[in-house]
Order: sequence, then structure tokens, then C-alpha cells
Amino acid sequence: MGDISTAAAGSPPILSVNNIEVVYDNVFLAVKGVSLDVAEGGVVALLGANGAGKSTTLKAISGLLKPERGAVTRGDIAFRGESLLGLDPPDRVRLGLVHVLEGRRVFEHLTPRENLIAATSMHRDRRGVKDLIDRTFTWFPRLAERAKAKAGYLSGGEQQMLAIGRALMTEPKLLMLDEPSLGLSPLLVDEIFDILRKVNAEAGVAVLLVEQNAAAALDFVDQAYLVDNGRVVMGGAAATVKANPDVQAAYLGGGHQVDYAAVKHYRQRRRWLS
Amino acid sequence: MDLALFGELIINGALVGLMYALAALGIVLVYRTSGLANLAQGAIAMLGGYLGWITIAWLGLHPILGALVAMVVMFAIGLGIERTTLRPLIGQPVIMIIMVTIGLEILMRGLVPGLLGSGVKRLDLGISDAPLFLGDMLINRTYLVSAGIALIIILATLALFNSRIGIMLRAVSDDQTASWSVGIRVEWAIAFAWGLAAVTGTAAGILWGGSQGVDWTLSLLLIKALAIAILGGLDSIVGVVVAGLIVGVAEAIASGLFDPLVGGGTRDIVACVIILATLLVKPEGLFGREHIERV
Ligand SMILES: Nc1ncnc2c1ncn2[C@@H]1O[C@H](COP(=O)(O)OP(=O)(O)OP(=O)(O)O)[C@@H](O)[C@H]1O
Ligand SMILES: [Mg+2]
Repeated sequence: MGDISTAAAGSPPILSVNNIEVVYDNVFLAVKGVSLDVAEGGVVALLGANGAGKSTTLKAISGLLKPERGAVTRGDIAFRGESLLGLDPPDRVRLGLVHVLEGRRVFEHLTPRENLIAATSMHRDRRGVKDLIDRTFTWFPRLAERAKAKAGYLSGGEQQMLAIGRALMTEPKLLMLDEPSLGLSPLLVDEIFDILRKVNAEAGVAVLLVEQNAAAALDFVDQAYLVDNGRVVMGGAAATVKANPDVQAAYLGGGHQVDYAAVKHYRQRRRWLS
Repeated sequence: MDLALFGELIINGALVGLMYALAALGIVLVYRTSGLANLAQGAIAMLGGYLGWITIAWLGLHPILGALVAMVVMFAIGLGIERTTLRPLIGQPVIMIIMVTIGLEILMRGLVPGLLGSGVKRLDLGISDAPLFLGDMLINRTYLVSAGIALIIILATLALFNSRIGIMLRAVSDDQTASWSVGIRVEWAIAFAWGLAAVTGTAAGILWGGSQGVDWTLSLLLIKALAIAILGGLDSIVGVVVAGLIVGVAEAIASGLFDPLVGGGTRDIVACVIILATLLVKPEGLFGREHIERV
């Protein structure tokens, strides 16, 4: 397995997940041993096949396991040196981490502007909220154009941008994204990654990205971890992970993308089973 | 029937309808935030009416002050109802929640008159009962003032729902997990909606009690409130006003036209007919939230 700690030497990581185990419904062991670090302002990917435990890991970090009857049963998660276990998601958001859920989950009956405002419960100051909205519309000019339509009628790409923009309204130090590229054209995926790069550079927001689309993700991040069957099996600089022959064979398919038809089929099956 | 009498029926019916709408508002507020059916709203209005009787008739507070005190107390009771009976049910099937709110309704209906005496209590809100004429038509002054107050409260709620807090409440009704993920304290939002529902229910109970007297029958407002909430579309505040006017006028016309023929009682059938008809013909109601279908 080798050394799987990737935090830049010296500065302490902003997020540090230490050998966690996650159980759903008190019986199903979905994550068996995940450790990972995200450096201050770092950009990190969490890669792996369907059902490997990527989303579960993000939910453990954001606290959103609870509505799905999941719980962290071992290990610890520390954010800027403070343990997150035992805090509800709104408290974790106030500490500076936010989770953009798989499948976008915009507030469909609210306008994009209202979607952004809904994410400001931690901000007291009205002017500050206005500035944050302006900042978001500068990053996502497409949203400004559609600010008055109901979010449910936006295109998939616009909804993904809205979900990210909404999360950024909380002024996070760490932005966690669960498969932002899902179902989007390669062109749109590039556009979104370009914006994320900007956000990372301009606001110093660290990014933890979960992706099926390993090729796109590895071009975007500095560090990557590979999860398989609930365990982190590899971690290191993006270039190293990319060059690994196993990764080449299993996830990059010699340059081809992941088979989305298979992904979709799996998803439908899982929906019926869960 | 002569025209003035018919005009009178319609106007007084519309005024009564606005008071009903105020009771219906509490059902809509809870549904809008949590997607839950609040079938305890009749008993909440009744309890509010009794509290108003205590503060105004018994303690002798000025009607406005007494009503405000009752509303503040009922806000706390609304929070308490959510905290003690609904929050523990999170994740339970919808039928459980319906049963629990009906159970609350029945419990309060029996308990409160039992404790405070079951006779009808007079509640004087200090509205003059001098006749008020509009042309040839005799308008019920109590209804007019009460309807005005009801409309103001409904409009204030509408404004609240377009404010920052209101946007968060609407976000919660759209997607609770996503709301949680962006820092909204979902449990507080839902409790707040119950508190508001109790406040508006109390206003309705006091206004209605002011014209009918306070006793357990105030809880029968539930049927009218349900009819209005369903006809209006369950989550639309504008829908509540329009549906309230429709139900109030329909009741007045029905009782004006048919009561002399069948010997009374038509008024109470109207709400049930409207519930049935809405569910059969347009289950999403007049102003129901559109269902967004995208691929
Ligand atoms: N709410 C749940 N209840 C029970 N089991 C679950 C639940 N959510 C996920 N699982 C299971 O936990 C395992 C990990 O799931 P997870 O969603 O974390 O995978 P993933 O890596 O995100 O996969 P994908 O790429 O398909 O999104 C899977 O076996 C899945 O079936
Ligand atoms: Mg996933």
C-alpha cells in the first residue's frame, strides 16, 4: 500500500480523516478503513468504482449520514484540529465545510437567487449576503442570466453550477463535491472545473472531489486517493496515481472514459434495493 | 330572493370566509415547511380561543393585548407540540403523523372544555354591534373587523415567506437534506412553522370566538380550514385567501337558498362537498405548487 499520507509536509491539514468505519442500518459496513488528508487550499480527488464508499465518506465528513441511518462507528474526523463527530451538519457548515450532494439537489421551486439566499443562515449581515450573491454570479455568469426562473427548470449543467454556487454562499474553507460531472457534456465538465480552479485560487477554498470520471478529475487535482471496497488502497500526487498501471487499466481504460450506461444501470438497481 | 338580501349573503359569507382562511393558514404553513398534514389545527384554534377568553374576559386585559398574550403563549405551545410529538416521529410513515395530529385534536377537544367548563363562554372583543349599512345591505360589523384583521395577518405571513427566513422555510419544504447540507437548522425551521401555525390558529379562534362564543365547537373550524387548504392547493398562501372566499360565499349561498327548504344544516355540508370535489376533480388544488418534471 505504501505511504498514503499526502498532506504537504509542514502545514497541518485542514481536514484529516483517520481510519473511519461507517455502518448503515447498524449492519451494513460500507466504509471499512478510510484515511485521508486535505491540505489548506489543497485540491484532492477521491476516486473509485461504483459502491466503493466515496459518497459515504463525504457524508461521514459533512454529517449527512444521519438521514440515511448511517453512523461512523470507528476512527475520527478532524477539521482544523477539531473533531467533527457529534456535530450536526449545520454546525459543521458553520465551521467551514460544505458538501455538494450527488445529483445536485437544488431547491426546485425557488429561483436561483433564492437558492443562494437559502444558504446564508449563518450570515447575520445583509450587505455581506448581497456581496456573496454578487461574487457567486461573477463566478457563474450563467446563473445570473437565469436568476428569475425556477431552479427546477434549469438545465443539468446550470443546476450543478447552482448547487456549487449555493454551497459557496456559506463561505467554506473546504468544498466537497460528489460527482459534479455526472450526466454533463465534456465541454460543461471543463467549464465547471475551470470555475472550481478559479474559486480555489481566488478564495483559497480547498476542494475534495469525488469522481467517476477519473481522467477529468486527475487533470484537475494535486492529490488523489483511490477507494476500493470501503478502503483507501492508494494515495499520492495526482501524476503518480495517474501513472500507476493498475489505475490505468481499471479507471482510465487506456484513455477511454467510464461507461456511463453501466453506471446508470447500477444506479437504478441501487435505488430499488435501498 | 331580493337582490339586497343576496348581496348581504355574499358579502357576509366572504367576510366569514376570510376568518376561515386564517384558520387554514396554519395547515398551509406546516405543510409548506415540513410536508406534514397538521390535522390538529382545529383544536389549536379552540385552545387559542380559550386562552383569549382567559386573558380578555377573565383577566380583563384589553382585547388587543389579551390576544397578543394568547398568541405568544400559543407560539410556545406550537413549538412544544412539534418538539414533543412530531420530532420523535421523523422518518416514520405519513400515516403515523396523521394519526398523531388527529389524536392531538381529539385529546385537546375533550380535555380543554373538561378543565375550563363546557358551557359557551362569551368573549367580548369590544367591536361595536351597531348596524352597518352598505346601501340596503346590512353588514355584520364584527365579521367586517375580524375579516380585516384576518387579511392583515395573512398578508404579513405572505411577506414573511418572501423574506430571507421565509426563503429558508421554503427551501426546507423543497429538500430537507439539501437544506441541512447548506446550514439551515431544519428542526428549528419546522418548529417555527408549528409556532406560527399556532399563532394564526389562535387569532382565528379568538376572532371566531368573538362572534360565536368560545366552546369546543371552535375546533370544528378544522373542517372548513381543511376544505380551504385543499381547495387552495395546500402550500399556497394566496390560495388560502381565494379558497377562503369561495368556501365562505358558497356556505352563505347554500344556507340562504337551501336551509329554508330542508330545514337548516346545509352550511356544514358545503366544506365536505368542496373537499370531495377538489380531490376528485383537481387534487392539486387551485394554486397547488407545480410539479416540476425534468429529464
Ligand atoms: N443509505 C444507505 N443504506 C444502506 N447502504 C448504503 C446506503 N448508501 C450506500 N450504501 C451502500 O454503501 C456502499 C457504498 O456506497 P456509496 O454510495 O458510498 O458508494 P460510491 O462510491 O459513492 O458509489 P457511486 O459511485 O455509485 O456513487 C454501497 O455498497 C452501497 O450500496
Ligand atoms: Mg456516490
